[in-house]
Amino acid sequence: MNILIPESWLREYLETKASTKQIASVLSQTSVSVEKIQKINEDFVYDIEVTTNRPDLMSVTGVAREANVGLYNEQIETKFSPFKIELLAKSTDSFPIEVKNDSTIVNRICAIVMTVKVRKSSKIISDRLEACGIRSLNNIIDITNYVMRETGHPTHVFDLDRLNTKYLTITRSQKGEEITTLDGKTHFLFGDDIIAKDENGRIVDLLGVMGSQNSVITENTKRILFFVDNNNPINIRNTSMNLGIRTEAAILNEKGIDPNLAMTALLRGIELYQKHADGKIESKILDIYPNKREQKSIKITNKKITDVIGVDIPLNKSRQILEKLGFEVNEVKETLEVKVPSLRGDMEIEEDIIEEIARIYGYQNLPSIIPSFFNNRPYKFHDSFYFENKIKTAMKYLGFNEVYTYSLVSEEKFEGPIENALKIKNPLSIDMQYMRNSLVPSLLQVIDENKGINEIKIFELSNTYEKKTGDLPKETLMFSGIIKKENADFYEVKGLIEEVLKDIGITDLIFKNSKRAGIGASILKGDEFLGEIEILDTNLIDFELSFATLLKLANTKKVYKPLAKFPAIHEDISIISTLDTEEIINQIGSVNKIINEVYLKDSYNESRTFHITYRDFDKNLTKEDVSKVRLEILKILKDKLKAQVRE
Amino acid sequence: MEEELIGIKNAALSFVLEADSLESLEETKLQFLGKSGKLTLTIKEIKKVPQEKRAAVGMLANEVKETIEQAIESQTQKLKNKNLSHVIKKIDVTSPGKAEPIGHLHLVTQAIEEITDIFKSIGFTRVRYPEVEWDWYSFTALNFPLNHPARDDWETFFIDEKEHDKFGPMLLTPHTSSGQIREMLENKPPIKMLNIAKTYRRQIDVGHTPMFHQFETLAVSENLSITHLKGTLDYFVKSFFGSKIKTRIRPYHFEFTEPSFEVDITCTVCLGKGCKLCKEGWLEMGGAGMVHPNVLKNAGIDSEKYKGFASGWGVERVLMMRENLNIDDLRLIYSNKLDFLEQF
Repeated sequence: MNILIPESWLREYLETKASTKQIASVLSQTSVSVEKIQKINEDFVYDIEVTTNRPDLMSVTGVAREANVGLYNEQIETKFSPFKIELLAKSTDSFPIEVKNDSTIVNRICAIVMTVKVRKSSKIISDRLEACGIRSLNNIIDITNYVMRETGHPTHVFDLDRLNTKYLTITRSQKGEEITTLDGKTHFLFGDDIIAKDENGRIVDLLGVMGSQNSVITENTKRILFFVDNNNPINIRNTSMNLGIRTEAAILNEKGIDPNLAMTALLRGIELYQKHADGKIESKILDIYPNKREQKSIKITNKKITDVIGVDIPLNKSRQILEKLGFEVNEVKETLEVKVPSLRGDMEIEEDIIEEIARIYGYQNLPSIIPSFFNNRPYKFHDSFYFENKIKTAMKYLGFNEVYTYSLVSEEKFEGPIENALKIKNPLSIDMQYMRNSLVPSLLQVIDENKGINEIKIFELSNTYEKKTGDLPKETLMFSGIIKKENADFYEVKGLIEEVLKDIGITDLIFKNSKRAGIGASILKGDEFLGEIEILDTNLIDFELSFATLLKLANTKKVYKPLAKFPAIHEDISIISTLDTEEIINQIGSVNKIINEVYLKDSYNESRTFHITYRDFDKNLTKEDVSKVRLEILKILKDKLKAQVRE
Repeated sequence: MEEELIGIKNAALSFVLEADSLESLEETKLQFLGKSGKLTLTIKEIKKVPQEKRAAVGMLANEVKETIEQAIESQTQKLKNKNLSHVIKKIDVTSPGKAEPIGHLHLVTQAIEEITDIFKSIGFTRVRYPEVEWDWYSFTALNFPLNHPARDDWETFFIDEKEHDKFGPMLLTPHTSSGQIREMLENKPPIKMLNIAKTYRRQIDVGHTPMFHQFETLAVSENLSITHLKGTLDYFVKSFFGSKIKTRIRPYHFEFTEPSFEVDITCTVCLGKGCKLCKEGWLEMGGAGMVHPNVLKNAGIDSEKYKGFASGWGVERVLMMRENLNIDDLRLIYSNKLDFLEQF
């Protein structure tokens, strides 16, 4: 959450010789990040990102306190002056409204009744609020915002006469109850919102989030009920998010604010109403405070501080830092007993205290050391990432572009019955409602999105997700690709897969006619199913292989075969046969051990030409040796395989 | 006989010199030196020459043969050169070359490889853990309170499946930090982990894609302090962004680290002077911190004995920061327009 703070306002509480930039730099390094410094009129405005654990810094005084400690540590002259508020007018003993609180949703209520005069705010108040990004309306409303920005506690003001009630009941809303907020919008409540009801059961406030139209200040307002409520942050968050009302008050209240600040805010508000609105106190100060914050105490040893930070910081230095930050510190031997101020709800454990010391000491003052120990796991060079990388690189050099598509897909992109799909409960759109079980539909979309390009070769290596009952889904890394070109060739894709898999040590693939619908091939290694090639169209072929299975088979084994000492004899045989190429090659190859290699060299119409390499590793082959084997081959081709041999 | 040999020599030489192609030269060679060539036939006649003259005629015949052979050889070379220069003149060196085009690895893959390599060089091991995870690993064990906004329906994707009795709802990992828990439960310290994975958040606009990548480091050991976290961050930043780029860590807040830091680097555009893109000369890179003792405890590690540090940053983010690519819409990265992908 960001907050805008005018420098002139900050300097009301921070007396220092530090420059605008010095203050910003010290804050960024030791506390909260000053993201921008903007000049508005004659003032500079700090744009500060406050982390959600530090709602105490969503205020001028909070930031002033932090800056003071940082500057002091940098040895820049500085002084922080907190509020000194004295109640100037006498108060009466009575309060005109009976407030019934529900302590499970509201921690504290501080309130007062005053008479006021409504008019435009003074220039200083309206300028400062506008510089903070808050619209100036009139002096009565503006003071609630001014107090919030100054103290960090949101405040509210009712028109007492419009409220016109003897009772104010703080309660949880019922689902479906209706409220018109002061911006004129009507909301139906979700239930468990913190509301205030008048004696007639009318909702007069959505506490901590926004006031209601029926009790808001008008230009005719004479008497106000100035009301500071400290609420349960969880209820506030739900109300604010459910109704989409992100007021500054709601953003602050949902973080959990120190209830002790509520009285400070009330007193500061009274002071400002007296000064800027002719305010006169008309009641006693109401203070309902059921949920006091317990003061926390944390013990920490010097050794622990040193161990976590990594350098020796003198104990008195640590103590001084903590005290400047508002902690009460008791030093006992080598231990600090730290009492946490109620503002600091974020302090729980020793490490929280260490962070306070370390950040003010300055992270820039710590050395940089690369840890020299080694991982408990043995180093594995040929891990999954190694083979993934190898496949990706091979694909790249074969001319493929790698794509990353979303794992979340529409119903149409899920293959098979949609009941099997892992479904997103809160999808961003129906296009991203399911976890995919195939990469191919996403790749097809890429093809579709690049319509103008005639030749496309793309691939992706990503997970698919398979639902399992009562357990996390099975995530399987898939290796998929698509070739789009005129007359796309099945053999090109087959060859590509053979080459790429060879590169990760997987050879002797078996290709079978696909069992799945569509035309294509199933790819196997032994009995292990690796994936499919699918011919989608004359110009479109895809493939999808389980990388998880490939990984089981992948290896970097190296086998040495002695180089041949004697020359080979080569020969082509052309035949006409209806048998599969693989069958013919296997038959020829098994005739004699001097047949070193057989492959399909060419095919033309029905005729296929096989290239045969004869080689004996122990001697020179003679013409006679070869012709004898050749006769055997021809015999098998003709007699056993019933093939027609073209001489 | 001698005259005949001289006549053959002269005739052969004039044929050779006249030959204007390798084919006609080959013909000439056959005509004179072939099996039934003129010279070959004449030489066969030498045995009919009277004994006393035979040696001299023999020598002459050899000389004639060598002269013709040399002439053929030199004419062959001449003709070859002529052919080659003819070809060379046809080359237009400015015309485009021919090759099968090489493809492109995705930007994110390239970044991941580089990041992995840098952390590997200081002993971190890359791991991978589930992308679909239980709430417990992504939030509870990481010390997120029950009402933390990240657990809202509007920030994290939840899966429409039955909740686990122990681990709560099923979700898509909104960060790689669940890997910290998985790693510590599977592996005993000392640990030096690098977890790079897809992560998911319910956000889509020019600066956000619902799927993106993070890289997470986790180190757990005895005697580990903020100085080691600083050292590791500095090493990465110097290696990835270059030696001119400085790192600073400043206080921040995360549930699963204490102390927590935001890591800034010198703005890569203005080099620290301050510009539109940066925050007073600095760019935010991502979060880091000392592992919260509750997180160590939840993952079964003795938080008194061991300490840890962790960091988790966006892959796309560090890439954009380094390259100053000025990609005005991050969604382009996952749009898979080939015109875009082929630029990298």
